Amino acid sequence: MSIFMQLIVSGISVGMIYGVIAFGYQLTFATSKTLNFGQGEALMIGALVGLTTINVLIGQSLGTFTAYFLMLPVVLAFGALQGTVVEWLGVRQAIKTKSEAGWIMATIALGIIFKNVAENVWGRDALKFPSPLPEASLSFWGIRIQPMEIAIVIGALGMMLAVEFFNRRTIQGKAVVATASDRDAAGLMGINTSRVITFSYALSSMTAAFAGVLVAPVTLTGATMGAVLGLKAFAVAIIGGLSSGLGVVVGGLILGITETMTGYYVSTGYKDVPGLVLLLLVLSLRPSGLFGKTTIKKV
Amino acid sequence: MRAFPYILGLIALAVCPFLVTSPYYLHLLVTIAIFSILTLGLDVVFGYTGEVSVGHASLLGIGAYTAGVLAFHFNLGFWAALPLAVIVTAFFGLLLALPALRVTGPYLAMVTLAFGTIVQILINEMVDLTNGPLGIKFSTPLFIDLRAYSDVIPLFDMSLKRMKELEYFYITGIALVLTIVIINRVLASHYGRAFEALRDSPIASDCMGVSVYKYKVIAFVLSAGLAGLAGALFAYSEQYIAPNNFSFELSVQFLLAVTMGGRKSRLGPMIGAVIIVFLPNLLADIALFRIAAAIIAGIAVVAGVAMFVRGHEQRHRALVPVALCVAFFVFSMMLQKITDYKLSIFGMMILFVVYFLPEGIVGFLRQLVAAALPNRARQVSARHEAQDDSKAWAAAPLAINTQKPLLTAQQIVMQFGGLKALDHVDLNVQQGTIHGLIGPNGSGKSTMMNVLTGIYVPTEGSIAFDGHALAGMKSPEIALCGVARTFQNVQLFGELTLLENVMVGLHHTYTSGFFGAALHTSTFTREEAEAHARAVSILHFVGLDDLAYEEARNLPYGKQRLLEIGRALALDPKLLLLDEPAAGLTAPDIADLVRIIRKIRDHGITVILIEHHMDVVMSICDQVTVFDFGQKIAEGRPADVQANERVIEAYLGGSAVPAH
Repeated sequence: MSIFMQLIVSGISVGMIYGVIAFGYQLTFATSKTLNFGQGEALMIGALVGLTTINVLIGQSLGTFTAYFLMLPVVLAFGALQGTVVEWLGVRQAIKTKSEAGWIMATIALGIIFKNVAENVWGRDALKFPSPLPEASLSFWGIRIQPMEIAIVIGALGMMLAVEFFNRRTIQGKAVVATASDRDAAGLMGINTSRVITFSYALSSMTAAFAGVLVAPVTLTGATMGAVLGLKAFAVAIIGGLSSGLGVVVGGLILGITETMTGYYVSTGYKDVPGLVLLLLVLSLRPSGLFGKTTIKKV
Repeated sequence: MRAFPYILGLIALAVCPFLVTSPYYLHLLVTIAIFSILTLGLDVVFGYTGEVSVGHASLLGIGAYTAGVLAFHFNLGFWAALPLAVIVTAFFGLLLALPALRVTGPYLAMVTLAFGTIVQILINEMVDLTNGPLGIKFSTPLFIDLRAYSDVIPLFDMSLKRMKELEYFYITGIALVLTIVIINRVLASHYGRAFEALRDSPIASDCMGVSVYKYKVIAFVLSAGLAGLAGALFAYSEQYIAPNNFSFELSVQFLLAVTMGGRKSRLGPMIGAVIIVFLPNLLADIALFRIAAAIIAGIAVVAGVAMFVRGHEQRHRALVPVALCVAFFVFSMMLQKITDYKLSIFGMMILFVVYFLPEGIVGFLRQLVAAALPNRARQVSARHEAQDDSKAWAAAPLAINTQKPLLTAQQIVMQFGGLKALDHVDLNVQQGTIHGLIGPNGSGKSTMMNVLTGIYVPTEGSIAFDGHALAGMKSPEIALCGVARTFQNVQLFGELTLLENVMVGLHHTYTSGFFGAALHTSTFTREEAEAHARAVSILHFVGLDDLAYEEARNLPYGKQRLLEIGRALALDPKLLLLDEPAAGLTAPDIADLVRIIRKIRDHGITVILIEHHMDVVMSICDQVTVFDFGQKIAEGRPADVQANERVIEAYLGGSAVPAH
């Protein structure tokens, strides 16, 4: 039983990371019906920039904990910049020409470029990321939890709540929501929708970069860390529904827990398989996702 | 004349291996042929239906590993591998397509991407079946040992190795030629028209009985089958396969190949295959790469200067790509070790193609040719095509049963959130009548039409039509029961000709399936000829046979509406729904329209007409139903309805109590 609980607890922190990346997909899909196929690379490069920054700060004889918090704004700003570049180079033109293939291929291409640049700058080996919290596990009723795993859950939820709060309570956020519900109408009301879309990409990559530095202390950082995470988040976004904030959290938890279970009871080699199976199942049974709303076709 | 390039291609293919004696280059040619089979198949999905697959390398892998497993475990060779690889890969394609294509959006791309990763993991993990990371070795088969005849034909005097290579070249060549023939035939058939129609207007396809979902799945499965064929050929050509042969990057390369070569053509994907086969060589040799970059920059500069000299309208827009090409050349000169930046260069190539060559090389050349020969004579009219009266439109009028209504909708409720767009509406339509639906904007007329054609599923209520219960059925099924419609905002298949638009409506007349179309069976050719003749007669009926071979998007608005009616008639409907057919039409056009609607009724087809032109409604309708705020407020003969107080109130507002 305690093994079972242990697997659930480990699954939760993994799942929250998937959830926060999938949340990034939702942000851009809402405003522009596009998403960044290089989201995993946004996470990776955010984590690597974070690694360099934190090492510089630690070199200034700051403590790891302080350094981690000072590093966060740098990473968030970098993420926002990276998202802007992706939108500018990969998405804007395709939205104009209404070409689905265009933005998919362009964001894939940018992802490939970012990964290749990261390989050349930071090398091909996985690097250790300094942990701001003690790495010794805490033990509750026989279940072992790393402090960083708790931080991941809190950080991920905090990030999503902050964005939701921004969207609901600020005038800029309302522009985002308006663009999401009807881009043409929002444009006619004087909202610069193309800027809103750029902004949503900045926000999306920012959450990805943040997810990167959240997960980095638990795993390792390196040029290849993003691809799999980005892919899992695809599964989560579809399982939960591309339009539901609650969906990504629940979808993330479902996938995270299923994976740790598969890893333990079947084989670690097959750990990544249930993602695709769940994805196909959800699409067959409920194509709009577990929490997604079915859209009404207009004729 | 049209066969000329094909004959030339066949001759080139036949003599090729005697000109290319180096085994290395012969192998490259074989790889090009194999990748061409795959990219031609990918084009059916990517170019024609517009869906993006990022998993075709994995499908190639499944084909290759099917061959591998058969050889490794069952000792079955090449000839068993080919058909089984096609079947197994097509099955996997079906498995992906069935869920992923249920929804529109980037889902297929996301699912195929995930699939690609999983396939690599599974091949690595299922060691018992696939030999895991160690891979599987093959030996190239020898089909016929022609060296036995070398004393008669000195050409056959060669080593065993060369003989094998030569034979394998011809085998892949034949496979490629067959692929091209099959794809050409399928795309020219009702399948091809369905693929194009569903991309131009999914909703109209569904309402013509051509299920968007079904035909997208068929396109993907066909594409997967061809990828499987390519996979088996690839395995025997490489003589060794391992999981990392079938990476994500290769899938992206295939997409690049189709886009760069040019979508929706046979030549484009093949040019693309040549490019991606030579790409690794190009990106391995820095000198070669610099030369290529210099040539590209040179062409770009010349093209840019030419645009400025000629004073081309969009010359300023060309500045950025020209500058980028030059910058790319500078970058190539600064580059020290090319292998480190191979993927970045690859990524930049994709961006360049997406931005500046969206129609691909073939599309670009077509534009050049079109610009050079602007007034190429083109057949447009079909008026001369013989009119055989037996095949003329609706030669036999439908038998009219006046006993009971053709359509009975009972207590229909259509709720969107808190809004009831239709609130317990009953509607009875007698066969052989023209039934008008009128009412102010937003009163629920179009919603009713969408409910009747399955675009909306009613929240409550039942619809009986000619013995079918329509509520809950999907649009294509309803269409095939005999309900056709036009749309308020015209939904034509813009890139198809008028004739092809009507032939999409005639899709239901075909009994021959995919293999009939691919093999050109006698049934298929007869059906195709009949459909063609009927389409011409329908166009003649709506007065558009003069423009039969023009693309629908080039039609003026009024004629577009007539074409929509013609396309709907092709469905051989019992009930025809016309949603504001007179909107935006000029007075003479309206007179034509009224004449056409009357003729349709005279053929026994029941018509439901939504219209705001009251003179039209009052002159041709037998019955009129009036809607307001989602409810039926009046029904009866036009004159009675016109005098109805509630109707006057709805239209003019306020109290309609007549003054004394």
